[in-house]
Amino acid sequence: MKFLLLTWCFLALTSTAFAQELYVNTEPASNMARHSLGIRLENQGYFNPGFRNRNTLELMYGASRNWMVHTSAYVSDFYQQKQHLEGFSAYAKYRFLSVDSVQKHFRGAAFIKVSTINNPIINQEIALEGDRSGLQSGLVFTQLLHKLALSGSVSYLRGLDNQYNPIPVGFAKDAVAYSLSSGYLLFPKNYTNYKQTNVNLYLELLGKTNPGYRQSYLDAAPAVQFIFNSVFRVDFSYRTPLYNGMTCNSKNMYLVRLEYNFFNLF
Amino acid sequence: MKTFKILLALLAISTQFAKAQFVKADLQVSGLTCSMCSKATEKSLRTLTFVSDVKPDLNRNLFVITFKKDTQVNLDAISKKVTDAGFAVNKLTASFNFDNLKINNNYHFNYAGNVYHFLNVKDETLNGVMPVTVIDKGFVPTSTYKKYAAQTTYSCYKSGMMDGQKVYHVTI
Repeated sequence: MKFLLLTWCFLALTSTAFAQELYVNTEPASNMARHSLGIRLENQGYFNPGFRNRNTLELMYGASRNWMVHTSAYVSDFYQQKQHLEGFSAYAKYRFLSVDSVQKHFRGAAFIKVSTINNPIINQEIALEGDRSGLQSGLVFTQLLHKLALSGSVSYLRGLDNQYNPIPVGFAKDAVAYSLSSGYLLFPKNYTNYKQTNVNLYLELLGKTNPGYRQSYLDAAPAVQFIFNSVFRVDFSYRTPLYNGMTCNSKNMYLVRLEYNFFNLF
Repeated sequence: MKTFKILLALLAISTQFAKAQFVKADLQVSGLTCSMCSKATEKSLRTLTFVSDVKPDLNRNLFVITFKKDTQVNLDAISKKVTDAGFAVNKLTASFNFDNLKINNNYHFNYAGNVYHFLNVKDETLNGVMPVTVIDKGFVPTSTYKKYAAQTTYSCYKSGMMDGQKVYHVTI
């Protein structure tokens, strides 16, 4: 992990290309172009104890200059022996700040997420991505700083009873989530056309804490991303704890995601 | 009397009509984060009926837009496509083919239904293909617009209209 961090710092300091903010584990403050539709298929899982995985279908739409919406469906065997439909979530993001110049910008956005899930509640973590019903709202700011794209977010989560499964006594109902993400464009060094494959590297820190319960964790999630033909995106990420004091699905999770974009639909 | 003055002004403007021809526009867009954003912007620009081709320069976030012959070009529509998509125009230079056009500060010429108003220029004669930079709101960063707005005394710079006609402010 230390090696990864050092490599990252070295890359950040010596890079001569642009930064990149299409983060794998978080959303930036920037939106998709208006009337663009993104379709994501994601597989996330762990091998210890035993192999289990979750498949997510996500639709993303640039509704207007400042509004973007997502909706997701979750299927996994995290809580049952067989894959089953766990539930849905919806997400909306409003960009309220844009200080743009040609290859530098600062943006701010507010977001809200809601989920309804039918799994039993076993983990202390309030995660709306297939595990828990609840609400989440927060702020995200993204800055292209020299050659580094930095993004930070903080949000409040309210866990609600899952479908058929109320929150057990003694479980936290509130949580605070925060993230710090950085991105770096490795290739192409020089853009000539849309067909060039982009290779982007990311390092993200993802944390959550349940106030009053002394439960918290901080994960590091390095990722590599390929963008083909400026429309098809493939992400690989691995999430591992820097420290962990909260029960969640697993301490180490992989993520593979395919995303296809349609521009200017209407 | 007022009508007569307007007529006289229109006549003076229309005499310059044949002395310039629109060739292309170089559009630089800010706020693009990746080639996917550029592609979306290009697709959006191509939906404009007067656009014949868009060539991107991805390193500089620049789009070279060429226009269909004998169609009216609407620069505002270009700016609107960019801002609606979620980005901003950083710079737009319109290239005209000039035929010995003598200009000075505050000079106006009419082209394809729009008035072009020169600001911050010296007395000179324009000949051949020359780019002029549009400095109106929606074509420059907000800070640049504010700078020009503070300098100029022309109310048409803020309103974008002169005698009921759309006016673009340009400089060299």
